Amino acid sequence: MTAHALIKRFGFGRILEHQANAIVFTLLVITGLAQRFHEYRVSHWITLTLGGVDTMRVVHRYSGLLFACLILVHIVTGIYGVIIKRWPAAMMININDFRNAIENMKYYFGINSHPALCDRYDYKQKFEYWGVIAGGFLMISTGLILWFPVDVARVLPGEFIPAAKAAHSNEALLAFLVIVTWHIYNSVFSPEVFPLDTAIFTGKISRERMIHEHPVELARIENVPVEELIKHNGHGHSASGESGGH
Amino acid sequence: MGHRETSFLGICLLALILLSGIAAAAEPNLPAEAIECLGCHGQKGVNYALQNGETLEAYVDRNKYQASMHGSLSCTACHGEFSAKDHPERKFKSRELYALKASQVCHQCHPDEMISKVPVHASLLKSGNKAPVCSGCHNPHEITAITAGKKHSNEKDYCLGCHRHSMGIKLRNGESVSLKVDSAALDGSVHAKLACFDCHFGFSGTQHPKRNFNSPRDFSIAQAEACRRCHFDKYTKTLESIHYSVLSQGNLNAPVCTDCHGAHSVAQARADKVKSSQRCGRCHQDIFGTYTRSVHGNALLQEHNLDVPICADCHTAHTIQGAHTQDYREKVPEICGRCHGDAVLMKKYGLYAGVVNSYLSDFHGITLKFYRKQKDASPESSRKSIATCIDCHGIHDITKTSGPATNMVKSRLVKRCEKCHAGAAGSFPDAWLSHYEPSLTNAPLVFLINLTYKLFIPFMLVGLILQILLHVWRYAVNR
Repeated sequence: MTAHALIKRFGFGRILEHQANAIVFTLLVITGLAQRFHEYRVSHWITLTLGGVDTMRVVHRYSGLLFACLILVHIVTGIYGVIIKRWPAAMMININDFRNAIENMKYYFGINSHPALCDRYDYKQKFEYWGVIAGGFLMISTGLILWFPVDVARVLPGEFIPAAKAAHSNEALLAFLVIVTWHIYNSVFSPEVFPLDTAIFTGKISRERMIHEHPVELARIENVPVEELIKHNGHGHSASGESGGH
Repeated sequence: MGHRETSFLGICLLALILLSGIAAAAEPNLPAEAIECLGCHGQKGVNYALQNGETLEAYVDRNKYQASMHGSLSCTACHGEFSAKDHPERKFKSRELYALKASQVCHQCHPDEMISKVPVHASLLKSGNKAPVCSGCHNPHEITAITAGKKHSNEKDYCLGCHRHSMGIKLRNGESVSLKVDSAALDGSVHAKLACFDCHFGFSGTQHPKRNFNSPRDFSIAQAEACRRCHFDKYTKTLESIHYSVLSQGNLNAPVCTDCHGAHSVAQARADKVKSSQRCGRCHQDIFGTYTRSVHGNALLQEHNLDVPICADCHTAHTIQGAHTQDYREKVPEICGRCHGDAVLMKKYGLYAGVVNSYLSDFHGITLKFYRKQKDASPESSRKSIATCIDCHGIHDITKTSGPATNMVKSRLVKRCEKCHAGAAGSFPDAWLSHYEPSLTNAPLVFLINLTYKLFIPFMLVGLILQILLHVWRYAVNR
């Protein structure tokens, strides 16, 4: 098998899920942060373009509802897949993720000669994934408090409403900043994928990138020891750098 | 000028004749004939019944008569048909007809050619039969020298020659309007240096056109138009005001310039905050009464505190808008914030200047801010009625929030919440943190969440950026 061969990574369901999430997230960020940063002219422009703050809030709330549905569908699919269809629970965090993180640090500082040997999802991807899940739950629950404050105040103290607002607003900013720095770097500006990591659009990834980024998974697919894959292809950044965009 | 000089000469001549009369009147006794007539006519209650049922007072005040320009004349000089021996019976239909007849006597000494040199007489004579009779302005038994033979140094003195005396005209609806000008008030006004005709167009030493108004109010409204000649900026502002709109809908009670600023006594409106607010109170009595009991009105009127807002501070002076509009409601936090957001001013009274920001940065304040942008973009945009300062603190009845008023403010808060959030009793109103900044003692949950993110967001971001930099660096080194 040549290094340039393409390996299937995502099915249609996962691709659709990502694209739907991306659109809903963008909508939420635009309609939400325009409220948090209400002093800025761009926020005024967004609000007026959407037909006023009341309309913007309606859009925000229903986008939020859609986001909640996406999360719910994802979790149901995940549980169903893992339990019934016996999918490997590849997103679960395990001790290797922490080891990989440390090894990658060593590699960055020149102590190790090669990056950490990661499985299907590396620790960076798992960090983002669980960030979305945990943050999503926080955003959905606080968002619901803000949507139905009167009903919430029947069972909880009134202070929970401003507290929910503080959490919702801050968590949104955090999520937005993580996405625009970390996610956009890793999928667009990283020299390994520049100008764009197409895996989530085409569902395919080059064998070369697999060797570099997910050698453990590739070894399992091709039924060879990991060490052999690395040795064969001169495992390192210099080789993988050219594979970007495949 | 030639015309005026002639008129002065005429007046001087008249004065000379009259002065010689005064010399005679200075004697302690009236003419013998007059003393005899005053035997009866010097007592009050001498009345004469006219045919239409009116009564004519035939009483003459002895002292005033003696002091008048005519004091030296004997009664028969004017009442020629009467004498001590002969007192013929006369019949008149009405007072008006009597006055008309009696005034004809005046012309014997004061012919039309002479009196028409005074512009007001000229214009009155021109109107023919409708002209008021002499006695309408000049009480014949108490007549005084209106010009007193003085030379006028300016147009104002000329006008005041007559208009400093009590005088008035009857308007078409039967009401009279005083034409007396308080010259002391005029001299004390900001317009002291203006000439009369700067405002009273068409009038001068030679011109005295006859004006015909239906009522004193019509006259005031028409006369207030004179102000715009100089104060055009203020005039155009008033065109947008609720007062003008009410006026133009036919309510003549709506105020015009002179109602607030006065006419001859016009003063700097801002100079006296107390007077300024009282002026509004003349029409808005109930609201003014409420205001005087509020923390602001009480401080103004009892302590003469000039920091507090008066009516015009919130409602503006000339562009006054209807206060029950959505637009005005949306301006409220800005209006209150002018003082309550001023840290220096608030410190003086031990008040917290952060109250305005705590509102503006909360849900309702943000909504309001967007609403104002929406309104600027399209005035007809639909906006909900948003809770602002006045809903809890009151409008004209604003009180201190400490002490017994605390519960009142709280009950207003609950009521206001329920207006938009049905069923918002119980703990819901606590969602509003009452302007307090979250802290460990006040809304600790909010405080801790904010603090956590304040630390966590930079920590996370710096960590991720360092990772990215390391990644880039390793890639560059490997190349």
